[in-house]
Amino acid sequence: MASHPTTPFLPSTRRKFLQYTGRGLGLLAFSRFAPSFLVGSTLAGAPAPEKDRSILVLIQLAGGNDGLNTIVPFEDADYHRLRPTLGLAKDRVLRLSDTLGLHPACGALHRLFLDGKLSIVQNVGYPNPNRSHFRSTEIWETASPSEEFLATGWIGRFMDNNCAGRPAAPDPVAVHLSNSLPQSFVGEGEHTTFGLSPDNRNYRENEENRRLLQALAHQPGPPGNDSSTFLRHTLLNALVNEQKMQELLSGHRPATTYPENNFAYSLSQVAALVAAGLPTRVYFVPLSGFDTHSNQANQHANLLTTLSDGLAALQRDLESRHLDRQVLTMTFSEFGRRPSENESRGTDHGTAAPLFVVGSSVRGGLHGTPPSLKLAPNQDLAFSMDFRRAYATVLDRWLGCPASGIIAGGFEPISFI
Amino acid sequence: MSPALAPADPWQPLPDDQWDASAAAHLLRRAGWSATPSETAHAKADGLARTLDRLFPAAPVLPPVPDQIVRLREATPGFAKKLAAAPEAEKRLLLREARERSQQAVQDLSLRWLQFAVRPENAAYAKWVLCLSDVYVVAAQKVNNTALIWAHFDLIGRHALGPAPELTKAVSRSPAMIEYLDLNQSKRGAPNENFARELFELFLLGEGNYTEKDIKEAARAFTGYRAPLGEFRFALAQHDPGLKTVFSHTGRFDGDAVIDLAYRQKAAGAFLPHELAKFYLTDAALPAAQLDALGDWWRDHGYDLRALAHRFFGSRLFYAPEFRGNFIKSPVQFYLGMLQDLNLDVTPLPRFTLNPLRQMGQMLFNPPNVRGWVGGRNWINSSTLGARRRLVEFVFAPFNEAKLNADEQMELATARANGLGHFVAAPSHFTALAQLDTTAATDRLLSNFLAVPVSPGFRDWVRQFLLPGTKDESQHLRRLRRAAAVLMESPEYQLC
Repeated sequence: MASHPTTPFLPSTRRKFLQYTGRGLGLLAFSRFAPSFLVGSTLAGAPAPEKDRSILVLIQLAGGNDGLNTIVPFEDADYHRLRPTLGLAKDRVLRLSDTLGLHPACGALHRLFLDGKLSIVQNVGYPNPNRSHFRSTEIWETASPSEEFLATGWIGRFMDNNCAGRPAAPDPVAVHLSNSLPQSFVGEGEHTTFGLSPDNRNYRENEENRRLLQALAHQPGPPGNDSSTFLRHTLLNALVNEQKMQELLSGHRPATTYPENNFAYSLSQVAALVAAGLPTRVYFVPLSGFDTHSNQANQHANLLTTLSDGLAALQRDLESRHLDRQVLTMTFSEFGRRPSENESRGTDHGTAAPLFVVGSSVRGGLHGTPPSLKLAPNQDLAFSMDFRRAYATVLDRWLGCPASGIIAGGFEPISFI
Repeated sequence: MSPALAPADPWQPLPDDQWDASAAAHLLRRAGWSATPSETAHAKADGLARTLDRLFPAAPVLPPVPDQIVRLREATPGFAKKLAAAPEAEKRLLLREARERSQQAVQDLSLRWLQFAVRPENAAYAKWVLCLSDVYVVAAQKVNNTALIWAHFDLIGRHALGPAPELTKAVSRSPAMIEYLDLNQSKRGAPNENFARELFELFLLGEGNYTEKDIKEAARAFTGYRAPLGEFRFALAQHDPGLKTVFSHTGRFDGDAVIDLAYRQKAAGAFLPHELAKFYLTDAALPAAQLDALGDWWRDHGYDLRALAHRFFGSRLFYAPEFRGNFIKSPVQFYLGMLQDLNLDVTPLPRFTLNPLRQMGQMLFNPPNVRGWVGGRNWINSSTLGARRRLVEFVFAPFNEAKLNADEQMELATARANGLGHFVAAPSHFTALAQLDTTAATDRLLSNFLAVPVSPGFRDWVRQFLLPGTKDESQHLRRLRRAAAVLMESPEYQLC
């Protein structure tokens, strides 16, 4: 093998791979060169990909979004009592109902609401809330009860469940548009995921070098060295997917104008990949900066503008390609913020907050009930909607994978789909 | 570790007869950035004790103050006056300018730090400070005044091998920390809990070792910490002097008293050893009993950080086979280790040096959040691996200096004038290897660069790659150089 005169090839799609095997190159004959996942899925006869599978885009509002200034109970005297300087006046908010309004920065989302393409799930949280960013993010990403630690994420377990519509390797089941793998994507088994860094550039390297690198990555690593195994699997997957993503994204032009920021750019790439027919089921796009302990007003308005305009651009792009019924976008944040503003014109870590679900397939409108604000100073909101009900809805009614196998506890779906 | 060993035994010093070249290389790679043949030989000849004295010395090893920081510091009082006097419309402009100046200064500071840290004699100390700054996190993005970020690193550097409670107290007075965790907003009657929470959760004890009430009460003790004009000041009128109950003790505590109380908690002993193990040793947590054993030892040694460093890096556990060659390099280690392995200097241009670091997931002075970098396998995914490979290609490919802008050309000229002008791994770097036959050259490449033994197949692929060049000297050099580049992109090179 070592003195093999030819360098190993690496088919970048399952179809190409099958073509090679069909040409009489026995599968086992070169299985030592092919990434193990390729061989595995071919042998197992993985289900054929479907064209019209449903797709979920998860938006993480990192830092803890201030729900009370996102969906504003403008008629509630307690709201203005708790928010003497940060409170938004009735004439500034964008009306959702007689008592509730969106933050004025959410004009684009408001139009989606009026069109019935935005669902707002109110007062979402979980029992015994944790106020640490990391722990609470972990609780949301793993969908665990507050006092239980789970090693896997809810999307990871969705991938573990191998439900219908799972792309055949090496296509990634889930793609994150960030530099680090979200904990949501961590599964029990090995899954092909792909990270599309916001600062990706066109990059080509010497073909002969690339072949040597592939060959080296195919060699067995030191026995018992898990880090080495992990690295070579990641590298092999990356080599295959890199080539493919480059092909798909090069020459892509968005069908609509996106705002000029990294978040919107990431969303435009999501649309491009969906439009290219990539069978990926879940995309993860973070937007950070929501930890507004001090001087919140401007920061929060800017963040909500970025969020609102970005989501609206994505929706427009998908609509113009007639892909809008295939994609559902949902936001989440590790917690809301304390109802009482603090002395620094900011807000401290809190508990429940609303989340947004956008798409042409959602049942628009307000879901659940707004939080009660009959609170003492510095008291937290009591949640009235468990976040795992939103996940269960998405799993059962959107991704078509029974939630019972993924989220323990039997959570009733919400009517937003 | 044999299960028969008591939890404290693994922390006993490594026996002298186990100090060999491989142990020396392991220490250099984990405590610093890489193990070049000459540094390894040096450490092996010195012995473990002398090497530890050299890596973790009694006197701090501090980088010089970067020029831009001096300028920022000098500008701070004047700027505050100008800002106070400016009309409302002009204030916004002034603040924006200040933010831009500060962002430029972060880039400068990052490059200077890399230039300092890459020198083998500074590597271990710089990495130790980086580790402590990954516990006592601040981020330039929030603090917005790079002079304060610099001062924060400087104070960590000065206390890095002294008593830990002194370090913690100094950090609580660090103007960058006061701003980063909102202590400057915390006052009598309206305490801000941010600092108190992270002090217990992320700096000293870990989750589960304090109550929400401890945090609320401790926050009152830290009221009145201010840093106007970048200097610590205790604002007595803003401080809450009342009785507080923290960890079941009641008194009129100030911040220092709360820190002392926290160090009296059992959890304080094992907390930093746990952080060290995560930063230097292994992704998987060490058994609690082992960490507690080191924690108890450390408490008995007055929480002295230098004693802890010597104990940790000199222990039998540190050199155990299960901790060799299986830890994933951080982006900073990957970059600086590669420069050391190739005997290169830092390219002092942000877009060729700091951008790749960011793409690999590590922005110096800007950790993602107050928890710092998670590290280990979290460094690696398809996009960060791609960024590592692109950085290798950059280091091996000469860049077109004519296309650089004037500032950049000046930076390169300054670096060259200071004798720091080797930016690209030129074919001439491989002249010594080219004298060897293919098999010997292969073995030298592998042993110089990789922390792990490779399979015969791996070795043979590299040898085959070198073969076509052996007839012609310049082609041979080119192939050696390309093989080195591919090795650095390989899974093995990501390990230390």
